Amino acid sequence: MTAEPVTPTIRAATRRSLFWVIAIAFAVIVALITLIARGAASGGTPFSATNPAPAGSKAIAEVLKQQGVSVTVPSTFRAAESGLRTANPSTLFLVDPDGHLTEARLRSLARLATHIVVLSPTFTQLKVLAPQVAAAGVVKKASLPSGCELRAATNARTVTGTGTGYRLMVPGTDATACFGSGKSVYSLIDVRFGNRSVTVLGTTDALSNEHVSERGNAALALTLLGDSDRLVWYLPTIDDSVSGARSIAQLTPGWVGSVAALLILVAIAAAFWRGRRLGPLVVENLPVVVRASETMEGRARLYQKGGARLHALDSLRIGAIARLGSICGLPRLATVDEVIAAVAAVTGRDASAIRGLLVDAAPGTDRELVRLSDALLDLEKAAARGIRPTQSQPT
Amino acid sequence: MAWSGWFVLLVALGILPIVLFDDPTWLFLWLILVTVVGIVDLLLAGSPRRLAFERRLPDRVRLGETVSSELLVTNAGRRRVRGIVRDGWQPSAGARPTRARIDVPVGERRAMTTSLTPFRRGERRAAEVTVRSFGPLGLLARQASIAVPGAIRVLPPFNSRKHLPSRLARLRELDGRTSVMIRGQGTEFDSLREYVRGDDVRSIDWRATARRNDLVVRTWRPERDRRVVILIDSGRTSAARIANEPRIDTAFEASLLLAALATRAGDRVDVVIYDRRVRARVQGAVGADLLSRMVNAMAPVEPELIEVDWSRVPSLVRSVTSRHALVVLLTSIDSAGGSRGLLGMLPQLTRKHTVVVSSVTDPSVLEASRERGDRDAVYRAASAERAILDTARVSAAIRQLGADVVTGTPSDLPPALADRYIALKAAGRL
Repeated sequence: MTAEPVTPTIRAATRRSLFWVIAIAFAVIVALITLIARGAASGGTPFSATNPAPAGSKAIAEVLKQQGVSVTVPSTFRAAESGLRTANPSTLFLVDPDGHLTEARLRSLARLATHIVVLSPTFTQLKVLAPQVAAAGVVKKASLPSGCELRAATNARTVTGTGTGYRLMVPGTDATACFGSGKSVYSLIDVRFGNRSVTVLGTTDALSNEHVSERGNAALALTLLGDSDRLVWYLPTIDDSVSGARSIAQLTPGWVGSVAALLILVAIAAAFWRGRRLGPLVVENLPVVVRASETMEGRARLYQKGGARLHALDSLRIGAIARLGSICGLPRLATVDEVIAAVAAVTGRDASAIRGLLVDAAPGTDRELVRLSDALLDLEKAAARGIRPTQSQPT
Repeated sequence: MAWSGWFVLLVALGILPIVLFDDPTWLFLWLILVTVVGIVDLLLAGSPRRLAFERRLPDRVRLGETVSSELLVTNAGRRRVRGIVRDGWQPSAGARPTRARIDVPVGERRAMTTSLTPFRRGERRAAEVTVRSFGPLGLLARQASIAVPGAIRVLPPFNSRKHLPSRLARLRELDGRTSVMIRGQGTEFDSLREYVRGDDVRSIDWRATARRNDLVVRTWRPERDRRVVILIDSGRTSAARIANEPRIDTAFEASLLLAALATRAGDRVDVVIYDRRVRARVQGAVGADLLSRMVNAMAPVEPELIEVDWSRVPSLVRSVTSRHALVVLLTSIDSAGGSRGLLGMLPQLTRKHTVVVSSVTDPSVLEASRERGDRDAVYRAASAERAILDTARVSAAIRQLGADVVTGTPSDLPPALADRYIALKAAGRL
């Protein structure tokens, strides 16, 4: 017997799939190149001095550098502290919407910096840095006029207003509120504490690369951040948050990662072990199973749905009349009247009642239909009993 | 390629050195070790492609019976082949077991025995044999499927043969009746023999008596060498199942019983399975040969989902025989609409032949017509009564056209048809 392998050899399989392997590899390479070329174009950290994406703020940082301001971008709290300590006066630009810094660390920063610009501060940050200022909700104005004597505000004239608004809770203190959007809500509040000052800034859109060239946004940002020679542009990360407990990585032994990797490999190996089938399925054309009684069932449901009670009853009657005729020994072509007369004679029932059951009665409800059909069966049984009294016992 | 559970276990054992030495490099060392061991094992496995296969299996089996199929595996390679063999049969071949462990040393041969209990009529095929050959360590395996075609023909079961002895006895009774030399319809002249006391004086052949100077009587026997044409409808209505048996299978049972009976009675039986074209045809066979040829022809036939072309049936019958014949049509007579073609064609057949139309009735319909418990049952009963009425009307129309109708449930139809044949033979209408 000639035995021909169906499974291709490794060489044949490679040759057959070569095109697809090359095509997929090509697609992956193209995707990688475009990804690298575009960089992390989308997203990135908002207001980062190194982020050229629309949400970043690299534009402001670069312009400040060109203007001779030394911009440092510390990645840790310690670096930020030392950056502030080395120069005096210095400006700190703080963006920490997730509240990574504790109160103590905020206080330490506030002691070191001569001027703090804090963008969209949280409740904690406001409490520590500018206790007399409170958050006053979202501002959604396309344009805000300066409306104050602060140099940065007068330089800018108008700015893009989208961001957060703030309210001065203790009037009369040494504070300037600018860019009001009504109801004593302001987007910039500058508070002075002796020779140090804290600027609470709510106009978030004004600082992003996307909107910085609109209106007076650039003027506002550059004046605010460029008021001293040294700018520390600090965006705290999760590493700067101090927690008392040790992290999971410190608690677990060193081999856990390796074991987890091995277990993943074991799972893959087990999946292949169980999933590898022993040869292809053998196909077979199977017949469709059609039960002959399906037409009967279908017609019954049609009767029921359509409420064809008289029609259904007539079917039952025709069958019953034919059977009654044969029970009474009448020829197949006997008329209904002859059958009624014969059945009346055999059963001793009233002929008009039998006629009503076999011909006249029209069921108005399903209950009546069931009753009539039971009566038909009953009549047949009675007729059979009448003809063959010896076999009247129900079996 | 495939691998065993031992290989997975081996990979998992890598946890031990990683934990004991607490060093991530052991992960890579272990993986390299496992890979090397696996590759060596794979290289040492015998090639499944170098195996030669041979099948030994019977040509045919009756539905419901069990046969054993043998697969001989010869190792023509250079290394021992140890592993699992799977014989790929179609599911309805009922193969058991489908896989077996084998161990074939170089140059030797081993057999794998599979028992087949097919549960569907027709040609059941085996396509490929798949071999998974493990290396000496039993970790990795080479796997290949090799085309080793095989087929077994599953014949109709002919369960109705249990009715055959009683019907043959009835036939002999028919013969016995003619030994008292009753002359008339349905008998033909057999021979002349000497008169013995008790013979009917009316059957004395005076001319032969005069020649022999001895009283000679004529003897008669039932007609022989009549033609029986069985036409089985393989159209869409034959696909419907009654009591979990397709109509066509019941038709096969009935035709097999009829053919067995008729060929014993000395009649010639021709069978045609037809829908729009002739699907199978058995002609000119007698005796045991007839039945074996019939089951062989019927085995692969499945109903087609098309309407039967009845208009070509008369010419089809004419092509089988030009003499008067008993034409048995095994079809369904459920509805007036569906039987229009049959009714239109019947006069052409009845003009020349004796025609019997045989159809399977559904016992569940009769049951449903008697059940009147609730609303659903009453509507179902009404619909069943309507179905019975339809069948009765078509039957009446067929009888009016001069043909005979035999109906019965799947279990009753074959003996009913055989009885009708005996009755027709006794009446001399063949």
